[in-house]
Amino acid sequence: MTILKHSRRMLCGAAVMAIGTFAALPASAAQFTCPNKGGDMVFGQEAQVAGLDMHFSSAISARNVAMHIYESLMTRGEDNSPIHELAESHEVSDDGLTYTFKLRPGITFHNGKAMTSADVLASFERYQKIGIDRATLEPVESMTAPDPSTFVIKLKNKVPVFIEQLSSFRVPIVILPAEEAAKEANQIEYIGTGPYKFAEWVPDGFVKLERFDDYVPNPAFEGKTGFGGYKVACFDTVTFRIVKEPGARVAGLETGELQGVEDVPTKAAERLADNPDIKLIPVENWWIHIAIVNQSSPPTDKLGVRKAIQVGLDMEEIMEIATDGAYTLNHGLQYPGNPYFVEGGKEWYNVNDKERAKQYLEEAGYNGEPVVLLTNSDYTNMYNAALVMSEQLKDIGINAELKVVDWPTSRQERDNTDNWNLFFTGFGTGPSIGPQGAVVDLVPPANLSRAPENPELNDAWSRMQLEETFEGRKAAFNDVQTIFYENAYAIVMGDIQKVQAVRSNVEGFVPFRIPRLWNVWFEG
Amino acid sequence: MIRFIAGRLVSAVPVILLVTLISFLLMKLVPGDPAMIIAGLSATPAEVEHIRQQLGLDQPFLTQLLTWYGNLLQGDLGQSLLLGRGVTTSILERLPVTLSISFYALFLTLLAALTSGTLAALRQNTWIDQILMSVALIGVSLPNFWLGLMLIILFAVWLGWLPSGGYVPFLEDPWGWLAAATLPAVSLAMLQMGLLARITRATMLEVLRQDYIRTAKAKGMPPWVVVGKHAFKNVMIPVVTVTGIIFSLLMGGSVVIETVYSIPGVGRLMASAILRRDYPVIQGGMLFVAAMLLIVNLVVDVLYAWFDPRVRYGRDGD
Amino acid sequence: MATEAAALTRDESWLARLRRNRVLRRLRQHKLFLTGFALFAIVLVMAIFAPLIAPLPPDEIQFRHRFEPPSLEFPMGTDNFGRDLLSRVVYGARLSLEIGFTVVLLTGLFGTAIGAAAGYFRKLDNPLMRVMDALMAFPAILLAVAIAAALGASAVNAVIALAAVYTPRTARIVRASVLVVREMEYVQAARACGATNWRIMRRHILPNSLAPLIVQLTFIFAYAVLAEAILSFLGVGPEPPTPTWGNIVAEGRQYIREAPWITLFPGLAIAMTVLGLNLLGDGLRDALDPRMRVQQG
Repeated sequence: MTILKHSRRMLCGAAVMAIGTFAALPASAAQFTCPNKGGDMVFGQEAQVAGLDMHFSSAISARNVAMHIYESLMTRGEDNSPIHELAESHEVSDDGLTYTFKLRPGITFHNGKAMTSADVLASFERYQKIGIDRATLEPVESMTAPDPSTFVIKLKNKVPVFIEQLSSFRVPIVILPAEEAAKEANQIEYIGTGPYKFAEWVPDGFVKLERFDDYVPNPAFEGKTGFGGYKVACFDTVTFRIVKEPGARVAGLETGELQGVEDVPTKAAERLADNPDIKLIPVENWWIHIAIVNQSSPPTDKLGVRKAIQVGLDMEEIMEIATDGAYTLNHGLQYPGNPYFVEGGKEWYNVNDKERAKQYLEEAGYNGEPVVLLTNSDYTNMYNAALVMSEQLKDIGINAELKVVDWPTSRQERDNTDNWNLFFTGFGTGPSIGPQGAVVDLVPPANLSRAPENPELNDAWSRMQLEETFEGRKAAFNDVQTIFYENAYAIVMGDIQKVQAVRSNVEGFVPFRIPRLWNVWFEG
Repeated sequence: MIRFIAGRLVSAVPVILLVTLISFLLMKLVPGDPAMIIAGLSATPAEVEHIRQQLGLDQPFLTQLLTWYGNLLQGDLGQSLLLGRGVTTSILERLPVTLSISFYALFLTLLAALTSGTLAALRQNTWIDQILMSVALIGVSLPNFWLGLMLIILFAVWLGWLPSGGYVPFLEDPWGWLAAATLPAVSLAMLQMGLLARITRATMLEVLRQDYIRTAKAKGMPPWVVVGKHAFKNVMIPVVTVTGIIFSLLMGGSVVIETVYSIPGVGRLMASAILRRDYPVIQGGMLFVAAMLLIVNLVVDVLYAWFDPRVRYGRDGD
Repeated sequence: MATEAAALTRDESWLARLRRNRVLRRLRQHKLFLTGFALFAIVLVMAIFAPLIAPLPPDEIQFRHRFEPPSLEFPMGTDNFGRDLLSRVVYGARLSLEIGFTVVLLTGLFGTAIGAAAGYFRKLDNPLMRVMDALMAFPAILLAVAIAAALGASAVNAVIALAAVYTPRTARIVRASVLVVREMEYVQAARACGATNWRIMRRHILPNSLAPLIVQLTFIFAYAVLAEAILSFLGVGPEPPTPTWGNIVAEGRQYIREAPWITLFPGLAIAMTVLGLNLLGDGLRDALDPRMRVQQG
């Protein structure tokens, strides 16, 4: 299994752990072929697609669909390490400043045009202008396309994590045809190089994709891995149907109107467990449930009050009610099993010591100032967690006030007002990309916790990016996580699972952050 | 008649102007921000600001208002912030969905309401009357979203007869459409059914007391002929007048019902636009629905005036 | 009503009392009115004595008693937080009636003021009624949802939204009856005798517009209870965990198959209240003026 032809050259080489968890391949190690072709795969997804311009969206709902249409130079494998996709290989110069990508030959876009380095260059230039995560390309000095199959990036300064960032699928740098890349945000035709091509979109209804017959799978792989690998479209069409109502999604799956769904409510999953027509596919570590603590707004400006909240909580009760049981207790800002998973600050997680909490409150001179828990009604598990937490805080004598608004309003209040002490959110995609993504919201300049300047944190944060070795970066991340816990920047509650499910005649479906419908087929 | 219609049209102008203004002002009070929704769960403030600029949400209030009216004059309701297409397109492509279900609901309403109302009137104060009118009253009193959920449980989950949601275009698959549209149409129709059944009954009772009906009956005409030939025609007048109200109820109801049944219609478009702060869609959608209702009411007025010439004169703008 | 109104000017208090008595007698004989009264009374008692009836505080989380089906201990079962549903539904009655009543009060106040002004002062008629027409051009629920969403989800904003939606409908009814009464001979006579506008309005016009207003407000009470539930259901009503009926249904919707009782009981409570109010409205209409038909929507 030669997943990474060029792993030695990758600076994040240490992140490349043993891969082998994905699709059980035949012993002959032959490349994947569809045991059965055809059919319309109808997948029920929970959220409206807000736009399919991937340079301009970080929404999961968009990624669900768009990852089937578009591809990038590099993406992430099953264990989240960077792999090549449209790039055949890449080299880094000895000074670490020049990245030379060789493109895979014979790639065509859905409009029939061959992909060349001119398209790559245009796509990167577009991303530099409008890409949401264009900070990734901040250190770029120049980009050139010396010949049709070569793309060169020169950096101003050395960025050891450049490839990790470049391969991120949060807001992926997907490759568009040059003429599309000349267009404004959200104005493009949806043309990519992926195994499925865009067919029809009825907003609020569905997005339909068709098999792209001229797709060339990546011969460096045998099967799928992460968002890359040897991808084959087995279905004639894939329909992402927007079904917001969880009950309707489950019912649709049961009746066979839908062949696959995301986000089955836990209670329904318990019931479906015995249904022979349905396969439940839990995605562990969907997101880290977290409440950000406001360090500039009283009374949580006092460390004592923050520590009281931290040690007074029973995470098991919070997570059980928040998710109806679909959770794992985890202190970390990385998921267990991730290369960067560290222990820093663990002793402050799930302490559940009411007496100690009361003592902290007394020492901090707390006398009944309201602690506002700002949560939203759109994400039920955040709302549930806040409700349970507020009751637990009342038990230790904190005057907890629950403030429930819709998600956009809660974001706005978080950013523009001081009327909150705990803000409920989830770190989902960020941690899955890597430790930088996991902590970026809590360190300056974002600094959602509104913490006073902390040189120690700034130093650890820059070490996370500039340390040459994996061990060095991991140690730096451990320092950051420890600082977060010791100063109670945020209350980590645990990891949430998300249950996907398919009909039992759907074969080859392997859970991932985003449902992948390549190398998946209908049995018989 | 032409003068009457012209007068009606002229009096609609200030209302339309006010409707556009209300539509615009309403959304300026909204505390949320669409940029944040596009940015997703863990976007940084800088990202959000970037999106906001891209979408022109950072423009001053007056600029946005002038742009709104300027575009409106050109028949342009603006671009959806989230759907990647024009508001007019978004509405028009969903309109057939909402209209087809609304007309289905209207058909069910008329069918059930006229027959049960007439029957109840003919059998006044018998058990038939009481049962029918109790059902009508309960229909008026049921919360439609709850009824929708209960119907899903009963017919989709327990009995498995009908799908629990979704929509199939009529032209693609008429039977599929019928299956998918039945529960939503019933949920939508229930309120109007009750309303109209009661009106039908009351009007029918009134008509049956009229002299000419009594004469017809006295002449020995069979009751069904009396009802069919004479009474029914008279009942249609009040029915026509409540059409505007029924249409308004259907449009309002579809916001809820299309959400419950995951139907990609105008109602759901509005509901999700409101929750997702897609200002142009909310403004354009409100305006569109209001304009549609104004036209319906205008047509109703004209029809009414046609039926009943007294209306053409001396009615006081009511 | 016209002849009665004319008589009223002569000895108002005596005749009014007689009329009320006749109304009361009619109501006592109106079976449906009595049914409605009984239904509404049950809800009213629940609302007033909520703390006594509810076995538990409505927000008390019982980690060990989640998803209990209806039983002797929990007559309506418990929800996903282990909160007692009977307690929540009972407290929900309080909120629904509070909201409904406030909406009725505001609608009655503003609707009467606007309707009377429009009906009585010809110059105000056109501008006022055009604004009312514009507000009524939107479907009631759509406008209410939009206003509530615009202002932010809360009980107060739900009340404002509903009052804004139903005020024009009330104003129209008041205006219509004012228009009729304004032209009555006795009002003309009073004006000729030099009575002030205020006095004419207070002594003659408003009392005679009262019957249709009361009936209309009863129905508006019913709509307000329904509409508030819809607002809550769509997530723009009073913020959760406030136990409004719409919120309970919305929260229970996720568990509709595994724990249908969470959705069932609050829905029944809404239906009972609205049915009760509709029956009350019908009875009042029949008793106050059998020929009157109230426009709904």
